[in-house]
Amino acid sequence: MKFRGRMRTTCLCAVTILLLLCGLAAWAQSQPAPAASAPAAAAPPPAPAMDQPLDVKAAAPPSTDDLTAKGDPAGTSTGTVSDVVPADSKKGLTLADVVNQAGQNRIAINFVWTLVTGFLVMFMQAGFAIVETGLCRAKNANHTMMMNFMVYGFGLFAFWVCGFAIQMGGGGPYATLGGIYPLTSEKVITVLGHPWGLFGMHGFFLSGASYDVGAMVLFLFQMVFMDTALTIVTGGCAERWKYAAFAVSSIFMGAITYPLFANWAWGGGWLSQLGANFNLGHGYCDFAGSGVVHAVGGITALAISMIIGPRIGKYTRTGASNAIPGHDIVIVLTGCFILAFGWFGFNPGSTLAASGNGALRIGTIAVDTMLAGCTGSFGAILYMWIKYGKPDASMSGNGLLAGLVAITAPSGFVNTVGAAIIGLVAGVLVCVSVEFIDRKLKVDDPVGAISVHGTCGLWGVLSVGLLADGKSNYGGSWNGINGSVTGLFYGDASQLIAQLIGIGTLIGAIFSLSYVAGWIMDIIIGQRVSAADELEGLDIPEMGALCYPEFVLKPETVAGTAAAD
Amino acid sequence: MRIVGVLLALVGWLIPVVGITMTQSTSARFILALVGIAVTLYAIMGVLNKAHLKNAIWKS
Repeated sequence: MKFRGRMRTTCLCAVTILLLLCGLAAWAQSQPAPAASAPAAAAPPPAPAMDQPLDVKAAAPPSTDDLTAKGDPAGTSTGTVSDVVPADSKKGLTLADVVNQAGQNRIAINFVWTLVTGFLVMFMQAGFAIVETGLCRAKNANHTMMMNFMVYGFGLFAFWVCGFAIQMGGGGPYATLGGIYPLTSEKVITVLGHPWGLFGMHGFFLSGASYDVGAMVLFLFQMVFMDTALTIVTGGCAERWKYAAFAVSSIFMGAITYPLFANWAWGGGWLSQLGANFNLGHGYCDFAGSGVVHAVGGITALAISMIIGPRIGKYTRTGASNAIPGHDIVIVLTGCFILAFGWFGFNPGSTLAASGNGALRIGTIAVDTMLAGCTGSFGAILYMWIKYGKPDASMSGNGLLAGLVAITAPSGFVNTVGAAIIGLVAGVLVCVSVEFIDRKLKVDDPVGAISVHGTCGLWGVLSVGLLADGKSNYGGSWNGINGSVTGLFYGDASQLIAQLIGIGTLIGAIFSLSYVAGWIMDIIIGQRVSAADELEGLDIPEMGALCYPEFVLKPETVAGTAAAD
Repeated sequence: MRIVGVLLALVGWLIPVVGITMTQSTSARFILALVGIAVTLYAIMGVLNKAHLKNAIWKS
């Protein structure tokens, strides 16, 4: 008993001591370390001189003997201090060399990004060509393809001669592309006490000081956007437009109409300065061109379609609309995929940068673009399925395109929820618009270009003023106004007003200019082919060759339309 | 009528553009923008398009 008692006491004491020791250790760890006596503040090291040679050996550059013998399978020895080129090889590498290289690397990244995305947009020409051709009849396939083929050359030439200068000649400096300082000459007039930038005045023929590496990159990127606008018109006016009239119209649009509005929106013109001059948000904002490209194209298509009139057989004598189906839905939907692929260049590329100035938002822009196309196709297919009982293929394709068109302006400023909503609305809107333009206005549009690009382009412009979420940051400002672009639903009503003024300019000024130009062309050279040529099909009368010479095409006469009365 | 339609479309464009130089009020500017768009749309659909439909090819 005594032994057990002693054992119990001993154990209790041991446990108590152990617990005390643990507590002491925990307490000791929680105590702040005693402040060491602060040494006297050392003088900061002198800033390295920019032009003094650096100790390159300290960076341990790889031995060329080693690389010669073994190569670099892991990639750890490729791209080192040895690859920074000193300005003066006798002096050696300096800090100035390193800093300059960093700057050049940033601009080089931006150049490559802008050029490669521009190449993607150029490829969209193939998509537009086969979408339009597939939606037209086989007897006009050669003519439709040739319009889309040559619009590239006509537009490029006009843009090189004067379009680029008018559009971008005064919008510089362009920070992401190294400045491009020659492009800072804008024609500005003062009316009612306010400045109004009208057009650029430098960059004609890309000559003089605009023979500049940055100007070349900017030209290529802007040119492919311009060509997209021009090719839209060929779809709205297909199957009855004279090839010569198309050529003249395209050159005029590439030289004047498109560059004018593009200057106002992107080239430092008055629309972009609505924020700076009139406190209207960040001015008219159009990230990648729902307005500048698509609405200009769709509205011009409306103007010329009204002038040249509908196809023979499109409407009965009572005004009822006849459906004229296309000849190849396979190439229509394939073309839609090509366009969706190219749109990855259209929207993300409009940052003109992949380094610095918020350019890492390119992933967000790409995802917004995909989502809007996706919900656009949903909106259209559901509308057609519910209303007509079938999921219509051509309208589903147009729904995808409508979503992509609509997201083009807001893509840099909205989140994914906003993008999905914009696309869904566009998908439904394009179907309603096609019906309205066809049945109420009785304007014939063989491929739906006016609705896809005009109507949905305007919706895209409007959606910036509603759904821009204020979270984007492209160097801290946009159009010279600090902060992020913000729409009505996120707190800025004035941005919506700027967008509405842009819409009014598109349908008021640009439509009027396109209509007057088309009217004059109609008087001088005639826009529309003869009835006989139209009934035969434009391939032989206009182009001299059938697109499908081995096929026997179904004959078409006016009696075919009389049967529909 | 075509000339009237074009001129009316231009007037519709100018209504908000001139209007923003004359007022700082957000509401007034918003209303002017909507009025301008309405005038332009009427010019295009109600005047110009109607002029074209008078001589439409399907009426002959």
